[in-house]
Amino acid sequence: MSVSQETSASGAQRLGGFIASYSVVITFLAICLFFAVASPTFLTGANLYNVLVNNVVMLAIVALGLTIVISSGGIDLSVGVSVDMASMVFVMLLAAGYGGVFGVTVGLLAAVAVGVLNAILITRLKISPFLATLGVLFIGQSTQQLATSGGQPIYLITGYAGDQFNAIARTSLFGVPTPVLVLIACIVVVYLLLHRSVFGRAVQAMGAQPGVAWYSGLAVPRQQSLVYIGCALLCGITGILLSATVKSYVPLSGNAFLLDAIGATFIGTTLSAERRPTVIGTLLGVLLLAVVKNGLLLIGWNFYWQQVGIGVLVFLVLAVSFGLRRARQ
Amino acid sequence: MTMQPSAAQIAVSMTGISKRFGPVQALHDADLQVARGTIHGLVGQNGAGKSTIIKVLAGILKPDSGTISVNGDTVGNLTPSSVERLGVHFIHQDRLLVPTATVGEAVFLRHELGFGPFVSRRSMSRRAAELLKRYFDLELPAGILVQDLTTAQQKIVQITRALAQKASVLVLDEPTAALVKREVDSLFAVLRRLRNDGIAVIFISHYMQEIEQLCDRVTVMRNGTDVGTVDPAQTPIDEIIAMMIARDVGEMFPKRSVEIGAPVLEVSHLGMAGSFEDISFSVRRGEIVGLTGLLGSGAKEIVQCLFGLDRAERGSVKVEGKRLSLSTPVHAVQGGIAMLPEDRRAHGVAIDLSVRENISLASLGRYSGSGFVKRRQENQAIDGLIRELSIKTPGRDTLVRQLSGGNQQKVAIAKWLSCQSRVYILDEPTVAVDVGAKVEIYNLLNRLAGEGAAILLLSSDLLELVGVCDRVLVVYRGRLAGEFSGAELDGDRLLAASSGARVAKAEVSS
Repeated sequence: MSVSQETSASGAQRLGGFIASYSVVITFLAICLFFAVASPTFLTGANLYNVLVNNVVMLAIVALGLTIVISSGGIDLSVGVSVDMASMVFVMLLAAGYGGVFGVTVGLLAAVAVGVLNAILITRLKISPFLATLGVLFIGQSTQQLATSGGQPIYLITGYAGDQFNAIARTSLFGVPTPVLVLIACIVVVYLLLHRSVFGRAVQAMGAQPGVAWYSGLAVPRQQSLVYIGCALLCGITGILLSATVKSYVPLSGNAFLLDAIGATFIGTTLSAERRPTVIGTLLGVLLLAVVKNGLLLIGWNFYWQQVGIGVLVFLVLAVSFGLRRARQ
Repeated sequence: MTMQPSAAQIAVSMTGISKRFGPVQALHDADLQVARGTIHGLVGQNGAGKSTIIKVLAGILKPDSGTISVNGDTVGNLTPSSVERLGVHFIHQDRLLVPTATVGEAVFLRHELGFGPFVSRRSMSRRAAELLKRYFDLELPAGILVQDLTTAQQKIVQITRALAQKASVLVLDEPTAALVKREVDSLFAVLRRLRNDGIAVIFISHYMQEIEQLCDRVTVMRNGTDVGTVDPAQTPIDEIIAMMIARDVGEMFPKRSVEIGAPVLEVSHLGMAGSFEDISFSVRRGEIVGLTGLLGSGAKEIVQCLFGLDRAERGSVKVEGKRLSLSTPVHAVQGGIAMLPEDRRAHGVAIDLSVRENISLASLGRYSGSGFVKRRQENQAIDGLIRELSIKTPGRDTLVRQLSGGNQQKVAIAKWLSCQSRVYILDEPTVAVDVGAKVEIYNLLNRLAGEGAAILLLSSDLLELVGVCDRVLVVYRGRLAGEFSGAELDGDRLLAASSGARVAKAEVSS
């Protein structure tokens, strides 16, 4: 092999590597460009605000939770239950006339309880994360239906509760909406935990090779418990934001986040050379899904075709990224 | 020196094979000619290109250049399944069986027995049992899953699978690494029979005795190319080793003079029902103590308990006078005990993490403040350890997957150096490690001992025990059956004590 061939090959390889690593970013920008041309409303401030607050924030917080869980080599199918439990308890307490701070606190604790249950099933009873959280998903759904006479929503549009909701969802600080501030706080905390802390290292080691983590003297069961409890807490935050935004509790509404959050996390893994979940990658995944949903809606596709569009897109990103990686090896 | 079989006899011919991974030229113009009806050895140090050329033949890696022909036909664009259709079967070093399959399913994977689209588990089980009995005289419980088999049994199931598929070329990568003597003997008998049936066997091993015993030809690889093909019956082993490393082996077991100090690890009356009873011994500062015993003797179980992987029911363990409660490895590591496990990939290093992440895994406390990792401090320490152990890696952020076996083992050792452990337990540290890396590991052990560590070496390699240890403890049927040191420390005595033979001299002296 001559020298010039080698350099041109490695130049092509570099380009391939770049596309493989940044396929999410490239797709995201391309899609933004497409919708900006296709729809006059896409790039308006009002629409972008709507995408951010309504499509991104809540999904992103759940996806951050799942990013921790998936990094540890597990899965949490009960994220929707954690969302709903926080939402249900929060709304019920407000309906009963309790204060907003009390309602938020107990609501978050309800979500944490779901995480604790997962942690016990997984670390004490040694049930695989998939089955344990699937079981909790079933139990959690039935619990909600039992608590709401078969799934009756609770609406609290006006009055005291409405004010409490508005205080969370309709306020802003320095022009930044409160939910967005909450998201930023969650991003910072999860980023530091997962990518900068000792806990994050243990989580990554468990995900890469649990036997090695155990043989290195890491307290694997304790870390694993923290992973599921932390994920549930993040979902609880989403639950509070959700009820504050829609001023109600609709049973089983949290499940809508599950597949999108898993999708976003896995799309995000394409950003890392080792295909690990990362905070930045997950956020890009969330943005991608949110923009596609919004954009397809704007150009007049109905809900079902949106799903098809997202499916094709996920496939495209993964295929391009993994295909190029494989070609390089 | 190179022998060329005539064209008609050739089963596998690889010529001018080159393969590069980024900056590393793994293979450079390498040739391999294997004739039908021969057992062809392939030797070389780790990183010499043995595994790479085998992966090229297996269709796992695409060569950058070169030609391959199988049974006279030139084949391009090999894939793992097309290779198998050509009759070339591989027994890879890593266990590549579906863990939740039954033995029958594993043996007939992708060639299931049954009727039309239906698979008959029962006939596969029965047929697999027949084959195992016939070739290996091995009987396994009906319906047992692959994950419940020992490493040795899994290897045998893999070989049985190739035999069931009527392989014309059989490639074995370090097949004996995890086998006991009896299993090795029956494996060799099978391979000889296959050779006499006209099958070409490619046999990769680090054990020179096996090469000498078994192979008709041996190709030596060094630095990504073949440096010669010789007849092991006519070439002294020393000469083959010299070809491999291109320098004198010198002393395989480096001499050392270390002052042995106070006891660091003290084990007294340790017992676990059904495994071992009344085990008492100590390992002192600077001392290397060997522990050996046959499979099932309890030696392995003892070290498992010392690291908190199993729970002893009786007795106590002290490190530097402090009694440890060893219910999990967390306690063991906190108590200053390090463990180099036998199964490196499952327990030693996480191959999908970087060198840095692996090395600091057990000592994150040292490189962190209030829960956050201090990267500068960590990087400095890791770079220091990489230099100190001369770990061959492009950098600290390289994935361990990309390193050779010997260097992966060094990463596993560096993890404990970083942790500043007091007691090192090593479980078969040199299995499937080449000669050069072995010597490096022995040197490392000596250095650790020199720095005041107490070392417990669990090994079934008698030469290694005699060469490296100050003292060797032999476990037989769950009890300490002998302790040998100084002039009494020799392979024959260790072997005799491990197999339960009464050794007059040892009895008298103990």
